[in-house]
Amino acid sequence: MSDLATRPVMKRRRIYRLWRSFLRAQNWELSTGLVIIAMMVLAALLAPYIAPYHPNQINIVDSLQAPSWHHWMGTDFVGRDVFSRVLYGLRVDLLVVAIITYLGLIVGVTLGTISGYVGGWFDAVIGRVADTVIAFPFIVLVLAVVAIVGPGLKGVGIGIIIVGWALYFRLSRSEMLVMREQPFIMATKALGFSHLRAIFRHALPNLIRTSLVYSTVDVVVNMLVIAGLSYLGLGQQAPGADLGSIIASGQGYLLSAWWITTIPGVVLMLFGIGVSLIGDGITRGDLTLGSR
Amino acid sequence: MSETLLSVQDLTKRFKLRRSLGEFVTRRPGDSALAVDHVSFDLAKGEILGLAGGSGSGKTTLARMLIRLVEPDEGVITVDGRSVRDARGHELREIRRRMQMVFQDPYASLNPRMTVGTAILEAGRVHHQPGSEDGDAFVSKFLDLVRLSASTAVRHPSELSGGQRQRVAVARALAIGPEVLIADEAVSALDVSIQTQLLNLFLDLRDELGLAILFVAHQLSVIAEVADRVAIMHLGVIVEIGAAAEVFHNPQDEYTKSLLASHPRSVPLDASREIRIGE
Repeated sequence: MSDLATRPVMKRRRIYRLWRSFLRAQNWELSTGLVIIAMMVLAALLAPYIAPYHPNQINIVDSLQAPSWHHWMGTDFVGRDVFSRVLYGLRVDLLVVAIITYLGLIVGVTLGTISGYVGGWFDAVIGRVADTVIAFPFIVLVLAVVAIVGPGLKGVGIGIIIVGWALYFRLSRSEMLVMREQPFIMATKALGFSHLRAIFRHALPNLIRTSLVYSTVDVVVNMLVIAGLSYLGLGQQAPGADLGSIIASGQGYLLSAWWITTIPGVVLMLFGIGVSLIGDGITRGDLTLGSR
Repeated sequence: MSETLLSVQDLTKRFKLRRSLGEFVTRRPGDSALAVDHVSFDLAKGEILGLAGGSGSGKTTLARMLIRLVEPDEGVITVDGRSVRDARGHELREIRRRMQMVFQDPYASLNPRMTVGTAILEAGRVHHQPGSEDGDAFVSKFLDLVRLSASTAVRHPSELSGGQRQRVAVARALAIGPEVLIADEAVSALDVSIQTQLLNLFLDLRDELGLAILFVAHQLSVIAEVADRVAIMHLGVIVEIGAAAEVFHNPQDEYTKSLLASHPRSVPLDASREIRIGE
């Protein structure tokens, strides 16, 4: 299939089309969102080179300094450079949020498409498990998992995946139920293709879009949950930095040193705006995800 | 008549109707509708059998049962003496390889995200068809067989017309080397001029490849054009089966007669009457 000489041409054309629509700013939501997120990812990746100080370096003499040329985002109560901590915190948060969200998506979509395709007891069992997960308030279930696994990003991650897959499951299952009746899926049976081929090669590419669009909402939600749990002291443990824990560490000094909580908060907000813009851009539909 | 390739005996399918609450509570069995009722026929190598009938007569159900897209309730289907109903797993896939189907709606029967070439090659590769190692040559061979240019390979179905798509569907079916082609209303969704071209294609394929074709259609005119023999279905039963000329010119069954009589003719009976355009 891939050795068909035409394949790379199609791929190149697709990337070119995306790039062109980016340049012409036909899709300003997508371009703006991509620029914001790309800059954040870049900053996070290059944290060791950009950060002027070590994120955990304590300097009591310089504590609670307002933003200045030496400390762009000021310093916290033990004199750690907030800018450096934000960079390293972003690094942790972005990595964790990406892994958590897309692991959940992969698990949910895989189970959902199989469930919708085969139906029967498999669908009944997995479907009830998903219903159970959805029946609980999101944060309560995550907290319960954290209580079992123990505080730290690992517990938070496991918790969010256990809860997060269920929505992707429902989305892709219901799409699969529609897709299953499509003649081109029936044709795969007539052609003697295996079920796996029918599901993953023929149905999946035609129904993944909804889940991908939804994941842009999910990423923001998960980012906030991670930050929230870190804020509560259940996520990233001291002295490691993540946006939530930096915000939490500054709350006692909100009136005297506003920058400790505000600046990481703004970064978090920017992330949310960036991802939402990308989501809007994709939904506008004048660009193609994969081929048509 | 040459040897029989596909043989069907007493094939029956009931669809269960929904049970009412009363029936459910009293545990009475629900009603069922007989979609196909003890149907028997044979299909020989290189023969085109036309299967005609009104809507709901069970044509499509019958066609789908042949490759077990719908499970039959009773009856025997054999291909080359091998039972279709007993086939499992690999054996069933092999039988489906030997009997290919072309579906009614060419707009929905191709994966919208796959190029024509990829789709044809995939079919060939899955069944390890000879020649499928060389992708481009394999694809152009089958595109050529359905009279499409080799450049069609890079197109997506959305870039093609209905007739072209149906040709692609035929090419994909042929790519896995079938002996029987089941055309389920394969030309019904196309306009008349395209229909004729496709019918000619089916005739050519029969001559070139020796395919046996079961041609399902509700339009008698379409069947009259290609079929060697004709079976007329009504309410799940084959009411009449025989040589095409025989059935069309000397119908025995009442339903066949009414079907023939109700069919619109392409030439007005009274040719002397003036046809005014725009009336």
